This record gives sequence, structure tokens and C-alpha cells, in this order.
Amino acid sequence: MRGASTCNRGTTVVCLLLCVVCVLTTGLQVDAAGPQTEIVTEEVAAAAGVTPATAGDVEYRAFPVVGSRVAIWVVAQLHLMFAAFVLAVPMFALIIEFIGYRTGDKRYDALAHEFTKLLSVSFSFTATLGALLTFMLVILYPRLTQYMMAIFSWTFFPYALLFFAEAGFLYTYYYGWGKFSPRVHLALGLGLNIVGTALMFIANAWLAFMNSPNGISESGALVNVWEAIDNFIWMPINVHRVIANVAFGGSIGAAYAAYKFLGAQSDEERAHYDWMGYVGNVVAISALLPLPFAGYWLGKEVYAYSQSLGITLMGGTFSWLFIIQAVLIGNLFLAANYYLWVGMERIEGAERFRKFIKYLLASVTICFLVWATPHSLVASIAEARKMGGAHHPAMGVLGVMSAKNTAVNILILTTFLSFLLYRRGNKEATVSWAKTGNTIQFATFVTVVAFVVFLGVYGYFVEAKVRIGLSVPQVLSVLLAMAVVTAIDIPMFKNARIRGSIDWGKMPARSQYALFFIAITFAWTMGLMGYVRAGLRQHWHVYGVMRDTSVDAFTPTLGFAAGVVSVTVLIFFTFIAIVFWLSGLTSKKDWQAERLDVPT
Amino acid sequence: MTALKILIFTVGVVAFYAYVGQMVPQKETHPPENTEIRADMTTDEMVEVGKEIAGGKGTCLTCHTIGSQEAGRFPDLAGIGDKASTRKAGMSALDYLAESIYDPNAHVTEGFLPGMPPIHKPPIGLSDGEILTVVAYLQSLGSTPTVTMETRLLGAGQEADAASDVAPVATTSPGEADAAKALLTSYMCITCHKLDGPEKLVGPSLHDAGARLNRAALYESILDPDATVATGFPPGVMTVTLKGMGFYDKVSVDELKLMVSFLASLKGE
Repeated sequence: MRGASTCNRGTTVVCLLLCVVCVLTTGLQVDAAGPQTEIVTEEVAAAAGVTPATAGDVEYRAFPVVGSRVAIWVVAQLHLMFAAFVLAVPMFALIIEFIGYRTGDKRYDALAHEFTKLLSVSFSFTATLGALLTFMLVILYPRLTQYMMAIFSWTFFPYALLFFAEAGFLYTYYYGWGKFSPRVHLALGLGLNIVGTALMFIANAWLAFMNSPNGISESGALVNVWEAIDNFIWMPINVHRVIANVAFGGSIGAAYAAYKFLGAQSDEERAHYDWMGYVGNVVAISALLPLPFAGYWLGKEVYAYSQSLGITLMGGTFSWLFIIQAVLIGNLFLAANYYLWVGMERIEGAERFRKFIKYLLASVTICFLVWATPHSLVASIAEARKMGGAHHPAMGVLGVMSAKNTAVNILILTTFLSFLLYRRGNKEATVSWAKTGNTIQFATFVTVVAFVVFLGVYGYFVEAKVRIGLSVPQVLSVLLAMAVVTAIDIPMFKNARIRGSIDWGKMPARSQYALFFIAITFAWTMGLMGYVRAGLRQHWHVYGVMRDTSVDAFTPTLGFAAGVVSVTVLIFFTFIAIVFWLSGLTSKKDWQAERLDVPT
Repeated sequence: MTALKILIFTVGVVAFYAYVGQMVPQKETHPPENTEIRADMTTDEMVEVGKEIAGGKGTCLTCHTIGSQEAGRFPDLAGIGDKASTRKAGMSALDYLAESIYDPNAHVTEGFLPGMPPIHKPPIGLSDGEILTVVAYLQSLGSTPTVTMETRLLGAGQEADAASDVAPVATTSPGEADAAKALLTSYMCITCHKLDGPEKLVGPSLHDAGARLNRAALYESILDPDATVATGFPPGVMTVTLKGMGFYDKVSVDELKLMVSFLASLKGE
């Protein structure tokens, strides 16, 4: 175990150095060469004896077999997945640790510690993949890299410093567990989260700039570096990623618990990992619920930056991608609800809610179908023939955004309701106003669902300008409903009568596969949405500023993209399996040589 | 055994999603190709080319429909050749169509939100000639096209320079600008060229050098001054002067780059 830890730390230090050297050397390369890619004709250059740095002359280099784009795509996606996990775990570990600190319940502290065991190895993977990505960008896309360096050169220094700070906080947080006072340790966790989030915000500025460049002149020259950072989609991407990271991290944590649950040797172990899986899943689903709202904001800002970019996203080339996304998100909601419903079987007293499950399932299914109904604003003739027109032959006009927005909002409310019933499983409110509280909660649900449906139907009868704006009151009313119901629920069940116990560990194996399913689906969704965010630029490296003139300057088919995403997800889970295995070594007994009875 | 089950399950779920990805329509989208614009095209030919550009490089039909009954995000273009004359009081149909393209948010049709990008600029970046053909096509929708390749549209002549195949370059920082000015002074360039005003000295003013010349031309004008001589100025003077003072022996690559970067940033503003 000690050997593994030392090796792990050693690897991390090497990766850290690699990253920093890489970032600094690339930055220096640009500075030394000055503003790059001047249009120096060969004759002029020869006349002056000017030989621009060879890097400036090479626009692209080819990666063997799969090509540069696929190579960068896979490595970038793997880096993002690990980075998301490494940023997310400290967030909910800190919250769980804080709960343990406030309640004095040691189980929470142990759970938070167990989650952070996954961090150490994952951080090494993240750093290694980040260094690899940087090298590959410099080698395969020198022209783009140099331009980005010219724009963002000053962001690399704080990035490198923050990276060191994150390593410091992370290892102190992990190895210092139980070695400091709880407050100091919580402060370390807070520092880790702040530094990690700041790192992500910087990196987000680079990629967001490529989609919605800002702070530059018409010819692409830098005018204001802060404006380049604070471009149109930077903050929506930041918010969306923070939430999505938590959802993703929670699901991977739950998958780890499921893996341990399935291999558990004792009831005690099973009970522990059942609980851990439940917590991880609650984290994932709690973050999933507001995620579509962050997605709306991001989409809105894409439209605000460029209507044509927005329409390419939602109604053009990528419109079919959102049907795949609907299948993924629908499956996520379905699996999350399923896990909760199965989980109710181990709660004594929850049987009184079983009769509602069929209605919840019907709601989830109907919403899923509506959301996944295709409708292409600019359907090609071939597409239209396949669908029998611009609308789906069976689901008809339910494929438009008015219906989809309505469906996804009701889907969120249904999942919230499932969680509410799960939470109440073995509890009975004893407060005098319980009946009134339930009535208000019920009325809130009914009113908001009616309001959301009304707006959805109304959207069919108004012009586009009005229709686009209807999604905002739909979203706000759903958020309001969840806030009101929660605000009533917490005091109503504060000193509730406990009807029975929760038999942790008494979960069928299929429930654990639901947790795997959720983690895989999250990873696949991340890959797909990462593709659309980058692919949206189509034949531009930096939208409207720097064209992609490489052999890959075309948007591949969705089938091809799905293939790349699938391979990436499989590689990711192979790496994650290694992380799980390495993390599990810490609980194994130290190796000892077999004692031999040697005759004296 | 458990690990094997998990592996099979993982591969199965991923394979299912890969399969879903194959089930949707498959289409590769390639960058728009340039359409040949000839100066001798007839109006009918312009309509055909304009139709092609509207559906392709111009990306007009990504947002606009033609003859759709649904309320879209942008106005339907059916009959626009006729309607254009009534959209904006006091403006002819041709001028309205031209303004809609070069300055699309100057007038926004009732019931719609602003948001159309000027299509003569990147990322769409149609040339004036291509826009003429698109206007011919739009006129053909509900009216008889009147434009020819000689027609000068309202707002034409402001094509963006940035075809953007070439990486843009950051402007010089204040420190670099000072260093470049010091170099131009030490090499006595400012004896013959003015940097801060349009007045001519022995040579033309450089206060708008970046607006008149691209970086290649700036390099050329320093390294081979007689290759292109500004109208009204005698050839040979600069070459003799620079050679006489040993400029080409002294100047370094970095100094040259710095001066060209600085001159490229002078737009005459």
C-alpha cells in the first residue's frame, strides 16, 4: 500500500512538471517567435534571409491511422471526463464531510474519505491526459495553438500556479484526513474546491472563445484579453460544467459503490456500499435536475452570439443529435427513478407508496417519448421521406420545442416526486399541520403541471418571438414548485414518526446495474455534448475568425461521432476500472512472506 | 465473475448507444464551396447561382423558409421580391434587399427578433458578386429580377478582408509599439515617412499603412522597395538610401517583424 501511494505521488509530480513545462515552453515558443503566421512570401523571406520558425509554417501534422482530429477528440474527451470527476468529488465529499461534522455522525466522515480515495489516482490520470493533450495540440495543430497562445498567453501563468495549488490542496486534503482539526480539514477541502473551479474557469475561457470569440478585432487581433475570456458562452459553460461535473462525479462514485457492493463478502460491507451508492446517486440526480435549465441558458447565449450558430445547433446539422441526447437523458431519468423505486423495497413502510409507481412510470415514459420525437426544422428530402414529412408519423406535431420543453419539465417534476416518496418511505409526519402541508404540496404540483402544459399548448398558437420566451416561465415555475415543496417537506418531517427501518444492503443486484447504467449513460452524454459543443463550429477552428483548412474540415456523420464517443467511453471505463482497483488496494492487508518451518 | 458481468454490461450499454447513433439520418457536412461568379453572367444565370448560394454557402435557408406555413424564427421568403418594396417606407425593393443583407438589423420585420448576421462578413463572408446573385434570386421570388453584374448595391464595397484562412495576428502591445517606433527612428525611416498624420514627406505617409497594405506587402516594401512604388513617388530612392546606410546588414529578423507588426497596426485612425 505504501509503495503504491509513493508511486502514485511520484507519477503525479512527474505529470505536474510535464504539464507546467509544457505550458510554459509553448508559451515561450510563441513569445520568442513574436506574432505568428505573418504572410511572408517565399521570395521576400528569402531576400531578407528571413526563415520563420518552422512551427509557423506548418499548419497541421497528421496523426497516424486515425487522423489528427480523432486523436485529439479522444484524448480531449478522456481528459475532460477525468477532470470532471476530479473536480466533482471534492465538492460533494466536502458537503458530506460537513454533514458529518455538524451531526457528529462518523459514517459521513468515513464516506467522504472513501470518495476521496478515488481522487488520488484520478488526479494522476487527469494530469497525464492534460499533458498529452497539450503536446498533441502543439504538434498536430501548431497554427491554431499559436493563435490561441497569442490571445491567452497571460492566462497560462495563473493556470500553472493554480495547478500546483490544486495538487497541494488535494494531497493535503486526502493524506491529511484525520490529521488536522475538522475545521482546518474542511478549510482545505474548501480551498481545493475553489482552486479547482478557478482552474476549470480558465480552461473554459479557451474553448468558449473558440465558439464565440470576443475581445478581438475583425481581423482576429487581440484587443482586450478580459473580453476574450468573458465571451458570450463562458459563464453559461462554467455553470453548466460545474453542475454536470457534480452529476457525473456522483454517478461514478455510485458506480464504485455498486462495484464494491457486488463483490462484498459480508452484510455489513453490503450495507455500507448500498448506502454509498445511494448517496452517490442522490448527488448525481440532484445535479441532473437543474442541468437542463443550465443547458437552456447556454443555448440562449449561443443564439445571442449568433442566430445562425444557434440554428445550426438546434435546427440544422445537429438537430438529430438532440434526438440521441433525448434517448440518453430519458434513460437517465428512467434508471434514476427505477433505482429509487427498487430502493423503496428495502424501506419498511414504503409499500404504501408502491401503488403510485405505475403512474410515475407512465409519466416518465410519455415524457420520454415526446422528448425523443424527431422534428427537423430543415429536414432534408431524405430525412423528410424517412419521417413521412417534417413531423413524426405517429407522434405528429409533438416533436417541436413547445412540446419537448413541456415534457422535460414534467419529467423533472416526476423524478422529484419519486425522490419525495422515497424520502417519506418509512416516515410519518407528526406535525399538526401535516394535512395542510400535504394539500399545499399537492396543489403546487397540480398548478405547476397545468401551467407548464398550458404554456406548451399556447406555444403552438403564437409567433416565434413569443414562443421562445415561454420556456423561461416554464422553467421558473418548476424550480419554484421544487423549492416550495422542499421548504414544506423539511419541517414537516423533522420529527417524523419512524414506521420501520431501512434495510441497507437488501438491494437486488439489478439495482446496482442501474447505477452502472447511469454512470455509463452520463459518460456517453458527456462525450456527445462535448462533440456538439466543438462540432458546432463546423469548418472553423475559431468561429468566424480562423478557418479549418485541414483534411478534417468537415462535420462527420452522427454515426461516426457515436462510434468515436463509444470508443472513448470504453477507454474511460477501462481507466476507471484501474482507478477502482488501485483504490481498493488501500484496504487490502500488507503482503507478508509465507512462513516456512525451517528445521533448526 | 462479477467483473466479467460488469464488463459485458458496460460494453452492451455502450454498444446500444452506438447503435442509436447509427439509427438517425447520416449526413456529412462539408465546408461551402465557392461558386464561380463571372462578370458576364446574365440575370437568369445570376438567379440560378444565387439560389445555389442561398441554400449553400450563404446559409440563408438554415434560418429562412420559402413557402412554409409554420411560424419560423425568421421571415418566410416566399414572395419577397414583391414584398420587399413595402417593407420600409421610402425604400425601393432593391435597396431594401441590399440593406437586409449588408446591414440586416437596420430594419427588423414586424413580429421577429433581430439576429441575422451581416453575410458579407465571416463566418459566412459572401463577396459582393455572390451577394448580387443572391439578390437576383430573392427578386425572382415573387417578382422579376432586375439586377445585373454591373449593379452597385447599397452597402457594397465593404467586404471583410478576413477570409480567415490565415491565422489572425495579435496587435502590438504598447511596449512593442514603442520599441518599433524607436527602431523606425534609429533606421531613419521617419525622416522620409510620417507616422502620425497623412502628410507626405519624401515618401508616402505610413499612418494608415496597415489599412492599405497587408503584412506581405509591408515586408516587400521594406525588403524590396522598388517592387511596387506608390503612385507619385520616385523609384529607387528608398533602395539607395537603405543600402547606403547598411540597413540590410544591420536589421535582424526580430526587428523586421516588430516593425512590420507595428506598421500593420496603423489604420489611419
